[in-house]
Amino acid sequence: MKVYVVDNGGQWTHREWRVLKYLKVETKIVPNNTPFDDLKDLDGLVLSGGAPRVATDANLMGNNGVYLERAEYPIMGICAGMQFLSEFFGGQLGPSEVPEFGHVGLKVLDHDDLFKGLPDEFNVWASHNDEVKKVPEGFKVTATSPTCPVEGVTCLTRPIFGVQFHPEVENTENGPQIFQNFLDIIEKHNY
Amino acid sequence: MLGVEDFVNEAIEDIKSKITGKAIIACSGGVDSMVAATLTSKAIGDRLLAVYVDNGLMRKGETDEVRTMMEHMGINFKIADAGEQFFAALKGVTDPEQKRKIIGEKFIRVFEAEARSFGADTLVQGTIAPDWIESGDGVRDTIKSHHNVGGLPKDLGMALVEPLRDLYKDEVRDVARFLGVEASERQPFPGPALAVRCLGEVTPENIEIVREACFIVEDEIRKAAAAGKMPLPWQYFAALLPTRSVGVQGDRRAYGRTIVIRAVESVDGMTATYAKIPMDVLDVMATRITNEMKSQVNRVVYDITNKPPSTIEWE
Repeated sequence: MKVYVVDNGGQWTHREWRVLKYLKVETKIVPNNTPFDDLKDLDGLVLSGGAPRVATDANLMGNNGVYLERAEYPIMGICAGMQFLSEFFGGQLGPSEVPEFGHVGLKVLDHDDLFKGLPDEFNVWASHNDEVKKVPEGFKVTATSPTCPVEGVTCLTRPIFGVQFHPEVENTENGPQIFQNFLDIIEKHNY
Repeated sequence: MLGVEDFVNEAIEDIKSKITGKAIIACSGGVDSMVAATLTSKAIGDRLLAVYVDNGLMRKGETDEVRTMMEHMGINFKIADAGEQFFAALKGVTDPEQKRKIIGEKFIRVFEAEARSFGADTLVQGTIAPDWIESGDGVRDTIKSHHNVGGLPKDLGMALVEPLRDLYKDEVRDVARFLGVEASERQPFPGPALAVRCLGEVTPENIEIVREACFIVEDEIRKAAAAGKMPLPWQYFAALLPTRSVGVQGDRRAYGRTIVIRAVESVDGMTATYAKIPMDVLDVMATRITNEMKSQVNRVVYDITNKPPSTIEWE
Protein backbone atom coordinates (compact mmCIF):
# COMPACT_ATOMS: atom_id res chain seq x y z
CA MET A 1 0.00 0.00 0.00
CA LYS A 2 1.33 3.40 -0.99
CA VAL A 3 0.31 6.40 1.09
CA TYR A 4 2.28 9.63 0.69
CA VAL A 5 2.43 12.75 2.84
CA VAL A 6 2.01 16.16 1.21
CA ASP A 7 4.29 18.63 2.97
CA ASN A 8 2.55 21.89 3.78
CA GLY A 9 5.44 22.96 5.99
CA GLY A 10 4.32 21.44 9.29
CA GLN A 11 6.57 20.85 12.28
CA TRP A 12 5.14 17.33 12.41
CA THR A 13 4.99 16.41 8.69
CA HIS A 14 7.93 14.07 9.21
CA ARG A 15 6.14 12.50 12.19
CA GLU A 16 3.24 11.62 9.86
CA TRP A 17 5.77 9.90 7.62
CA ARG A 18 7.19 8.09 10.66
CA VAL A 19 3.79 6.83 11.85
CA LEU A 20 2.95 5.54 8.36
CA LYS A 21 6.38 3.88 8.12
CA TYR A 22 5.79 2.16 11.46
CA LEU A 23 2.42 0.95 10.17
CA LYS A 24 4.40 -0.63 7.33
CA VAL A 25 3.04 1.16 4.32
CA GLU A 26 5.17 2.52 1.52
CA THR A 27 5.44 6.22 2.22
CA LYS A 28 7.28 9.36 1.21
CA ILE A 29 7.09 13.09 1.91
CA VAL A 30 6.37 15.12 -1.22
CA PRO A 31 6.33 18.91 -1.68
CA ASN A 32 2.86 20.41 -2.04
CA ASN A 33 3.63 21.62 -5.56
CA THR A 34 4.15 18.06 -6.82
CA PRO A 35 2.09 17.59 -10.02
CA PHE A 36 -0.95 15.39 -9.48
CA ASP A 37 0.23 13.10 -12.28
CA ASP A 38 3.14 12.03 -10.06
CA LEU A 39 0.68 11.06 -7.33
CA LYS A 40 -2.08 9.44 -9.33
CA ASP A 41 -0.99 5.86 -8.64
CA LEU A 42 -1.15 6.16 -4.87
CA ASP A 43 -3.60 4.37 -2.59
CA GLY A 44 -4.08 7.30 -0.25
CA LEU A 45 -2.75 10.70 0.68
CA VAL A 46 -2.21 12.71 3.86
CA LEU A 47 -2.28 16.51 3.66
CA SER A 48 -0.01 17.74 6.44
CA GLY A 49 -0.41 20.75 8.65
CA GLY A 50 1.75 23.81 8.24
CA ALA A 51 2.50 27.36 9.17
CA PRO A 52 0.32 28.93 6.42
CA ARG A 53 -2.88 30.55 7.65
CA VAL A 54 -5.05 28.86 5.09
CA ALA A 55 -7.71 31.54 4.81
CA THR A 56 -5.19 34.21 3.82
CA ASP A 57 -2.13 32.29 2.60
CA ALA A 58 -3.92 29.87 0.27
CA ASN A 59 -1.15 30.34 -2.31
CA LEU A 60 1.23 28.56 0.07
CA MET A 61 -0.95 25.47 -0.06
CA GLY A 62 0.29 24.59 -3.56
CA ASN A 63 -1.59 21.84 -5.36
CA ASN A 64 -3.64 20.61 -2.40
CA GLY A 65 -6.78 21.70 -4.24
CA VAL A 66 -5.83 19.74 -7.37
CA TYR A 67 -5.33 16.59 -5.31
CA LEU A 68 -8.73 17.03 -3.67
CA GLU A 69 -10.35 17.60 -7.03
CA ARG A 70 -8.76 14.79 -8.97
CA ALA A 71 -7.80 11.99 -6.58
CA GLU A 72 -10.22 9.11 -6.26
CA TYR A 73 -8.34 7.50 -3.39
CA PRO A 74 -8.90 8.43 0.28
CA ILE A 75 -7.38 11.66 1.60
CA MET A 76 -6.88 12.74 5.20
CA GLY A 77 -6.13 16.38 5.98
CA ILE A 78 -4.45 17.25 9.27
CA CYS A 79 -4.65 20.70 10.93
CA ALA A 80 -4.02 23.19 8.07
CA GLY A 81 -4.75 20.24 5.75
CA MET A 82 -8.25 19.90 7.24
CA GLN A 83 -8.77 23.64 7.16
CA PHE A 84 -7.79 23.77 3.53
CA LEU A 85 -10.10 20.96 2.45
CA SER A 86 -12.97 22.45 4.43
CA GLU A 87 -12.58 25.79 2.71
CA PHE A 88 -11.99 24.15 -0.67
CA PHE A 89 -15.36 22.38 -0.52
CA GLY A 90 -17.21 25.55 0.52
CA GLY A 91 -16.75 25.82 4.29
CA GLN A 92 -15.52 28.85 6.18
CA LEU A 93 -12.42 29.46 8.28
CA GLY A 94 -11.49 32.10 10.81
CA PRO A 95 -9.25 32.82 13.77
CA SER A 96 -9.85 30.43 16.65
CA GLU A 97 -12.03 31.71 19.44
CA VAL A 98 -9.59 29.94 21.76
CA PRO A 99 -6.31 28.94 20.08
CA GLU A 100 -5.22 25.48 21.15
CA PHE A 101 -1.56 24.67 21.84
CA GLY A 102 -0.82 21.36 23.48
CA HIS A 103 -3.36 19.28 25.36
CA VAL A 104 -7.02 19.17 24.23
CA GLY A 105 -9.82 16.96 25.58
CA LEU A 106 -11.35 15.42 22.45
CA LYS A 107 -14.98 14.37 22.28
CA VAL A 108 -15.79 11.94 19.49
CA LEU A 109 -19.21 12.47 17.88
CA ASP A 110 -18.98 9.81 15.22
CA HIS A 111 -17.21 6.45 15.40
CA ASP A 112 -17.85 5.39 11.78
CA ASP A 113 -14.46 6.02 10.21
CA LEU A 114 -11.29 7.59 11.69
CA PHE A 115 -12.49 7.09 15.27
CA LYS A 116 -13.71 3.49 14.83
CA GLY A 117 -13.23 1.47 18.02
CA LEU A 118 -11.91 4.44 19.98
CA PRO A 119 -13.28 5.85 23.26
CA ASP A 120 -15.88 8.64 23.30
CA GLU A 121 -13.37 10.95 24.94
CA PHE A 122 -9.57 10.99 24.94
CA ASN A 123 -6.58 13.34 25.11
CA VAL A 124 -5.06 14.74 21.96
CA TRP A 125 -2.57 17.49 21.12
CA ALA A 126 -3.22 20.42 18.87
CA SER A 127 -1.38 23.53 17.72
CA HIS A 128 -3.43 26.00 15.71
CA ASN A 129 -4.42 29.65 15.43
CA ASP A 130 -7.39 29.20 13.07
CA GLU A 131 -10.38 26.89 12.96
CA VAL A 132 -13.24 25.76 10.75
CA LYS A 133 -16.15 28.12 11.40
CA LYS A 134 -18.62 26.54 8.98
CA VAL A 135 -18.40 22.97 7.77
CA PRO A 136 -18.94 22.54 4.00
CA GLU A 137 -22.21 21.13 2.79
CA GLY A 138 -22.07 17.36 2.50
CA PHE A 139 -19.64 17.03 5.41
CA LYS A 140 -20.32 15.91 8.98
CA VAL A 141 -18.49 16.90 12.16
CA THR A 142 -16.92 13.80 13.69
CA ALA A 143 -15.23 15.26 16.78
CA THR A 144 -15.26 18.37 18.91
CA SER A 145 -13.58 19.84 22.02
CA PRO A 146 -14.51 22.42 24.67
CA THR A 147 -12.27 24.97 22.93
CA CYS A 148 -12.79 24.11 19.25
CA PRO A 149 -16.16 23.08 17.79
CA VAL A 150 -14.77 21.31 14.72
CA GLU A 151 -12.00 18.83 15.59
CA GLY A 152 -12.86 16.36 12.84
CA VAL A 153 -14.82 16.21 9.56
CA THR A 154 -15.83 13.52 7.09
CA CYS A 155 -17.23 13.97 3.59
CA LEU A 156 -20.50 12.11 3.11
CA THR A 157 -19.98 11.31 -0.57
CA ARG A 158 -16.24 10.84 -1.03
CA PRO A 159 -13.50 9.26 1.14
CA ILE A 160 -12.19 12.58 2.43
CA PHE A 161 -11.43 13.11 6.12
CA GLY A 162 -9.98 15.81 8.30
CA VAL A 163 -8.73 16.28 11.85
CA GLN A 164 -7.85 19.59 13.44
CA PHE A 165 -5.62 18.02 16.10
CA HIS A 166 -2.45 16.03 15.43
CA PRO A 167 -2.79 12.23 15.53
CA GLU A 168 0.90 11.87 14.54
CA VAL A 169 2.47 13.22 17.75
CA GLU A 170 3.46 11.08 20.72
CA ASN A 171 1.24 12.91 23.19
CA THR A 172 -1.98 12.24 21.27
CA GLU A 173 -3.66 9.13 22.63
CA ASN A 174 -4.74 6.55 20.03
CA GLY A 175 -2.86 8.42 17.32
CA PRO A 176 -1.48 5.37 15.51
CA GLN A 177 -4.98 3.79 15.66
CA ILE A 178 -6.45 6.81 13.87
CA PHE A 179 -3.87 6.32 11.11
CA GLN A 180 -4.61 2.56 11.08
CA ASN A 181 -8.31 3.32 10.69
CA PHE A 182 -7.42 5.55 7.73
CA LEU A 183 -5.39 2.69 6.24
CA ASP A 184 -8.32 0.30 6.80
CA ILE A 185 -10.55 2.74 4.93
CA ILE A 186 -8.02 2.76 2.07
CA GLU A 187 -7.90 -1.03 2.09
CA LYS A 188 -11.69 -1.25 1.84
CA HIS A 189 -11.86 1.47 -0.79
CA ASN A 190 -9.44 -0.39 -3.04
CA TYR A 191 -11.23 -3.66 -2.50
CA MET B 1 12.46 1.35 16.44
CA LEU B 2 11.60 -0.81 13.45
CA GLY B 3 14.49 -2.79 11.96
CA VAL B 4 17.45 -1.42 13.89
CA GLU B 5 19.87 -3.94 12.43
CA ASP B 6 18.76 -3.20 8.86
CA PHE B 7 19.15 0.51 9.51
CA VAL B 8 22.70 0.01 10.81
CA ASN B 9 23.76 -2.16 7.87
CA GLU B 10 22.26 0.20 5.30
CA ALA B 11 23.77 3.25 7.00
CA ILE B 12 27.25 1.71 7.00
CA GLU B 13 26.98 0.77 3.32
CA ASP B 14 25.71 4.22 2.48
CA ILE B 15 28.57 5.92 4.35
CA LYS B 16 31.10 3.65 2.62
CA SER B 17 29.78 4.66 -0.77
CA LYS B 18 29.68 8.37 0.05
CA ILE B 19 33.09 8.75 1.71
CA THR B 20 35.98 7.68 -0.45
CA GLY B 21 38.67 9.83 1.18
CA LYS B 22 39.06 11.03 4.75
CA ALA B 23 36.35 12.55 6.92
CA ILE B 24 35.97 14.36 10.20
CA ILE B 25 32.94 14.08 12.44
CA ALA B 26 31.61 16.87 14.61
CA CYS B 27 31.37 15.12 17.94
CA SER B 28 29.87 16.67 21.07
CA GLY B 29 29.76 13.44 23.03
CA GLY B 30 25.97 13.32 22.87
CA VAL B 31 24.09 10.26 21.71
CA ASP B 32 23.48 11.56 18.15
CA SER B 33 27.08 12.38 17.30
CA MET B 34 28.44 9.32 19.10
CA VAL B 35 26.13 7.02 17.11
CA ALA B 36 27.07 8.80 13.88
CA ALA B 37 30.75 8.45 14.84
CA THR B 38 30.37 4.75 15.57
CA LEU B 39 28.59 4.08 12.27
CA THR B 40 31.15 6.10 10.31
CA SER B 41 34.05 4.46 12.09
CA LYS B 42 32.63 1.04 11.18
CA ALA B 43 32.38 2.19 7.58
CA ILE B 44 35.73 3.90 7.03
CA GLY B 45 37.88 3.01 10.07
CA ASP B 46 40.97 5.15 10.54
CA ARG B 47 40.06 7.52 7.75
CA LEU B 48 37.78 9.19 10.34
CA LEU B 49 38.78 11.82 12.88
CA ALA B 50 36.29 12.82 15.59
CA VAL B 51 36.58 16.46 16.60
CA TYR B 52 35.14 17.70 19.90
CA VAL B 53 35.06 21.46 20.23
CA ASP B 54 35.48 22.81 23.73
CA ASN B 55 33.59 26.03 23.09
CA GLY B 56 33.75 27.21 26.69
CA LEU B 57 29.99 26.65 26.92
CA MET B 58 29.93 23.03 28.00
CA ARG B 59 28.61 21.68 31.29
CA LYS B 60 30.70 21.05 34.40
CA GLY B 61 33.20 18.25 33.79
CA GLU B 62 31.83 17.57 30.31
CA THR B 63 35.05 17.80 28.31
CA ASP B 64 36.77 15.22 30.54
CA GLU B 65 33.74 12.95 30.38
CA VAL B 66 33.68 13.09 26.58
CA ARG B 67 37.46 12.51 26.38
CA THR B 68 37.03 9.31 28.41
CA MET B 69 34.18 8.10 26.16
CA MET B 70 36.25 8.74 23.04
CA GLU B 71 39.17 6.83 24.52
CA HIS B 72 36.87 3.90 25.26
CA MET B 73 35.61 3.96 21.68
CA GLY B 74 39.11 3.64 20.34
CA ILE B 75 38.64 6.07 17.45
CA ASN B 76 40.88 8.90 16.28
CA PHE B 77 39.81 12.01 18.12
CA LYS B 78 40.91 15.53 18.79
CA ILE B 79 39.76 18.11 21.31
CA ALA B 80 39.85 21.62 19.90
CA ASP B 81 40.10 24.33 22.52
CA ALA B 82 38.12 27.28 21.16
CA GLY B 83 36.49 28.87 24.20
CA GLU B 84 38.03 32.30 23.72
CA GLN B 85 37.01 32.45 20.06
CA PHE B 86 33.39 31.64 20.94
CA PHE B 87 33.16 34.21 23.74
CA ALA B 88 34.74 36.88 21.53
CA ALA B 89 32.24 36.21 18.75
CA LEU B 90 29.28 36.28 21.16
CA LYS B 91 30.25 39.52 22.87
CA GLY B 92 27.29 41.90 23.09
CA VAL B 93 24.90 39.49 21.33
CA THR B 94 21.53 38.89 22.99
CA ASP B 95 19.24 37.75 20.15
CA PRO B 96 18.73 33.96 20.36
CA GLU B 97 18.81 33.39 16.60
CA GLN B 98 21.93 35.48 16.19
CA LYS B 99 23.61 33.51 18.99
CA ARG B 100 22.76 30.22 17.33
CA LYS B 101 24.01 31.36 13.93
CA ILE B 102 27.28 32.70 15.33
CA ILE B 103 27.87 29.47 17.23
CA GLY B 104 27.04 27.36 14.17
CA GLU B 105 29.45 29.35 12.06
CA LYS B 106 32.25 29.19 14.66
CA PHE B 107 31.85 25.41 14.85
CA ILE B 108 32.19 25.15 11.08
CA ARG B 109 35.32 27.31 11.01
CA VAL B 110 36.94 25.05 13.61
CA PHE B 111 35.89 21.95 11.66
CA GLU B 112 37.24 23.41 8.42
CA ALA B 113 40.63 24.00 10.01
CA GLU B 114 40.73 20.50 11.50
CA ALA B 115 39.62 18.97 8.19
CA ARG B 116 42.43 20.75 6.37
CA SER B 117 45.10 19.51 8.73
CA PHE B 118 43.70 15.94 8.67
CA GLY B 119 43.25 16.04 4.90
CA ALA B 120 39.50 15.38 5.05
CA ASP B 121 37.05 16.41 2.35
CA THR B 122 33.88 15.30 4.15
CA LEU B 123 32.14 16.51 7.29
CA VAL B 124 29.93 13.99 9.10
CA GLN B 125 27.29 15.31 11.50
CA GLY B 126 24.85 13.58 13.84
CA THR B 127 21.97 15.77 12.61
CA ILE B 128 18.57 14.24 13.46
CA ALA B 129 15.06 15.03 12.21
CA PRO B 130 14.09 17.76 14.72
CA ASP B 131 17.31 19.68 13.87
CA TRP B 132 16.38 20.30 10.24
CA ILE B 133 12.63 20.46 10.88
CA GLU B 134 12.92 23.24 13.46
CA SER B 135 15.60 25.07 11.49
CA GLY B 136 13.02 25.76 8.78
CA ASP B 137 13.28 25.67 4.99
CA GLY B 138 11.33 26.83 1.94
CA VAL B 139 7.97 25.83 3.38
CA ARG B 140 8.66 25.46 7.07
CA ASP B 141 8.85 28.25 9.61
CA THR B 142 12.12 28.62 11.53
CA ILE B 143 11.43 27.78 15.15
CA LYS B 144 15.12 27.87 16.02
CA SER B 145 18.22 27.50 13.88
CA HIS B 146 19.98 24.38 15.02
CA HIS B 147 23.72 25.00 14.89
CA ASN B 148 24.36 22.01 12.64
CA VAL B 149 21.81 23.17 10.04
CA GLY B 150 21.18 26.91 10.30
CA GLY B 151 24.86 27.62 10.97
CA LEU B 152 26.15 25.92 7.83
CA PRO B 153 27.63 28.48 5.43
CA LYS B 154 26.65 28.38 1.77
CA ASP B 155 30.31 28.05 0.87
CA LEU B 156 30.96 24.93 2.95
CA GLY B 157 33.95 23.48 1.15
CA MET B 158 33.27 19.91 2.24
CA ALA B 159 30.78 17.20 1.38
CA LEU B 160 28.21 16.74 4.14
CA VAL B 161 27.13 13.29 5.35
CA GLU B 162 24.33 12.97 7.89
CA PRO B 163 23.40 9.33 8.48
CA LEU B 164 20.73 10.01 11.14
CA ARG B 165 18.68 12.69 9.36
CA ASP B 166 15.44 10.73 9.41
CA LEU B 167 15.66 9.55 13.01
CA TYR B 168 14.32 11.00 16.24
CA LYS B 169 16.03 10.77 19.62
CA ASP B 170 14.18 7.63 20.73
CA GLU B 171 15.26 5.87 17.54
CA VAL B 172 18.86 7.07 17.87
CA ARG B 173 18.92 5.63 21.38
CA ASP B 174 17.69 2.27 20.04
CA VAL B 175 20.52 2.29 17.51
CA ALA B 176 22.96 3.34 20.26
CA ARG B 177 21.90 0.43 22.47
CA PHE B 178 22.21 -1.98 19.55
CA LEU B 179 25.74 -0.72 18.83
CA GLY B 180 26.71 -0.58 22.51
CA VAL B 181 27.43 3.16 22.38
CA GLU B 182 28.33 4.42 25.84
CA ALA B 183 26.42 7.70 25.41
CA SER B 184 23.13 5.88 24.70
CA GLU B 185 21.34 7.21 27.80
CA ARG B 186 22.87 10.69 28.08
CA GLN B 187 20.25 13.42 28.22
CA PRO B 188 19.95 15.70 25.19
CA PHE B 189 22.22 18.74 25.28
CA PRO B 190 21.92 21.15 22.36
CA GLY B 191 24.92 22.15 20.26
CA PRO B 192 24.87 25.84 21.28
CA ALA B 193 25.23 24.40 24.77
CA LEU B 194 24.89 26.72 27.78
CA ALA B 195 24.70 29.77 25.49
CA VAL B 196 20.97 29.08 24.90
CA ARG B 197 20.41 28.60 28.63
CA CYS B 198 21.90 32.00 29.33
CA LEU B 199 19.29 34.55 28.26
CA GLY B 200 20.85 37.86 27.40
CA GLU B 201 24.56 38.26 26.80
CA VAL B 202 26.82 35.22 26.87
CA THR B 203 29.77 36.20 29.06
CA PRO B 204 32.17 33.87 30.91
CA GLU B 205 30.62 35.09 34.18
CA ASN B 206 27.03 34.36 33.10
CA ILE B 207 28.03 30.97 31.73
CA GLU B 208 29.70 30.12 35.04
CA ILE B 209 26.42 30.91 36.87
CA VAL B 210 24.26 28.76 34.62
CA ARG B 211 26.89 25.99 34.56
CA GLU B 212 26.84 25.69 38.35
CA ALA B 213 23.03 25.90 38.50
CA CYS B 214 22.73 23.22 35.80
CA PHE B 215 25.07 21.02 37.77
CA ILE B 216 22.96 21.37 40.93
CA VAL B 217 19.69 20.67 39.06
CA GLU B 218 21.15 17.62 37.32
CA ASP B 219 22.68 16.36 40.56
CA GLU B 220 19.53 16.71 42.67
CA ILE B 221 17.21 15.28 40.02
CA ARG B 222 19.49 12.29 39.50
CA LYS B 223 19.61 11.70 43.26
CA ALA B 224 15.82 12.01 43.54
CA ALA B 225 15.34 9.56 40.66
CA ALA B 226 17.81 7.10 42.16
CA ALA B 227 15.90 7.32 45.46
CA GLY B 228 12.65 6.45 43.66
CA LYS B 229 11.08 9.86 44.29
CA MET B 230 10.48 10.56 40.60
CA PRO B 231 11.24 9.07 37.20
CA LEU B 232 14.35 10.50 35.54
CA PRO B 233 12.99 13.14 33.12
CA TRP B 234 13.83 13.10 29.42
CA GLN B 235 15.76 16.34 29.86
CA TYR B 236 16.44 18.51 32.93
CA PHE B 237 18.51 21.63 33.41
CA ALA B 238 18.68 25.23 34.62
CA ALA B 239 18.41 28.46 32.63
CA LEU B 240 19.58 31.90 33.69
CA LEU B 241 17.25 34.87 33.19
CA PRO B 242 18.60 38.31 32.29
CA THR B 243 16.54 40.10 34.94
CA ARG B 244 17.31 40.80 38.57
CA SER B 245 14.98 40.82 41.57
CA VAL B 246 15.07 41.94 45.18
CA GLY B 247 15.81 39.54 48.01
CA VAL B 248 17.01 39.52 51.58
CA GLN B 249 20.06 37.56 52.71
CA GLY B 250 21.19 37.65 56.34
CA ASP B 251 19.27 40.89 57.04
CA ARG B 252 20.84 42.53 54.00
CA ARG B 253 19.19 43.57 50.81
CA ALA B 254 20.05 41.43 47.79
CA TYR B 255 19.47 42.24 44.15
CA GLY B 256 20.36 39.08 42.25
CA ARG B 257 19.66 36.84 39.31
CA THR B 258 16.91 34.31 38.69
CA ILE B 259 17.39 30.66 37.82
CA VAL B 260 14.69 28.63 36.06
CA ILE B 261 14.34 24.92 36.70
CA ARG B 262 13.26 23.16 33.49
CA ALA B 263 12.56 19.45 33.22
CA VAL B 264 10.49 17.72 30.55
CA GLU B 265 9.15 14.35 29.50
CA SER B 266 9.28 13.57 25.81
CA VAL B 267 9.92 10.77 23.34
CA ASP B 268 11.13 12.59 20.27
CA GLY B 269 11.61 16.19 21.37
CA MET B 270 8.87 17.37 18.99
CA THR B 271 6.26 17.52 21.73
CA ALA B 272 6.96 17.57 25.46
CA THR B 273 5.24 17.91 28.80
CA TYR B 274 6.86 19.53 31.80
CA ALA B 275 8.07 16.96 34.33
CA LYS B 276 6.18 16.92 37.61
CA ILE B 277 9.03 17.29 40.08
CA PRO B 278 7.99 16.54 43.69
CA MET B 279 7.79 19.67 45.86
CA ASP B 280 10.45 18.47 48.27
CA VAL B 281 12.91 17.96 45.42
CA LEU B 282 12.17 21.46 44.09
CA ASP B 283 12.68 22.74 47.59
CA VAL B 284 16.10 21.13 47.93
CA MET B 285 17.19 22.52 44.54
CA ALA B 286 15.98 26.05 45.27
CA THR B 287 17.66 26.14 48.67
CA ARG B 288 20.91 24.66 47.40
CA ILE B 289 21.11 27.04 44.42
CA THR B 290 20.39 30.16 46.48
CA ASN B 291 22.76 29.12 49.30
CA GLU B 292 25.69 27.87 47.26
CA MET B 293 25.34 30.66 44.70
CA LYS B 294 24.31 33.42 47.10
CA SER B 295 26.43 36.09 45.45
CA GLN B 296 24.69 35.63 42.11
CA VAL B 297 21.25 34.08 42.58
CA ASN B 298 18.46 34.93 45.01
CA ARG B 299 15.42 33.51 43.21
CA VAL B 300 14.47 30.19 41.60
CA VAL B 301 11.38 29.52 39.47
CA TYR B 302 9.91 26.35 37.98
CA ASP B 303 8.85 26.23 34.32
CA ILE B 304 5.48 24.49 33.91
CA THR B 305 4.82 24.89 30.18
CA ASN B 306 4.53 22.15 27.60
CA LYS B 307 5.82 22.07 24.03
CA PRO B 308 3.84 23.45 22.24
CA PRO B 309 3.43 26.32 23.00
CA SER B 310 6.92 26.67 24.49
CA THR B 311 10.03 24.79 23.40
CA ILE B 312 12.18 22.65 25.67
CA GLU B 313 15.13 25.05 25.79
CA TRP B 314 14.47 28.75 26.41
CA GLU B 315 16.19 29.99 23.25
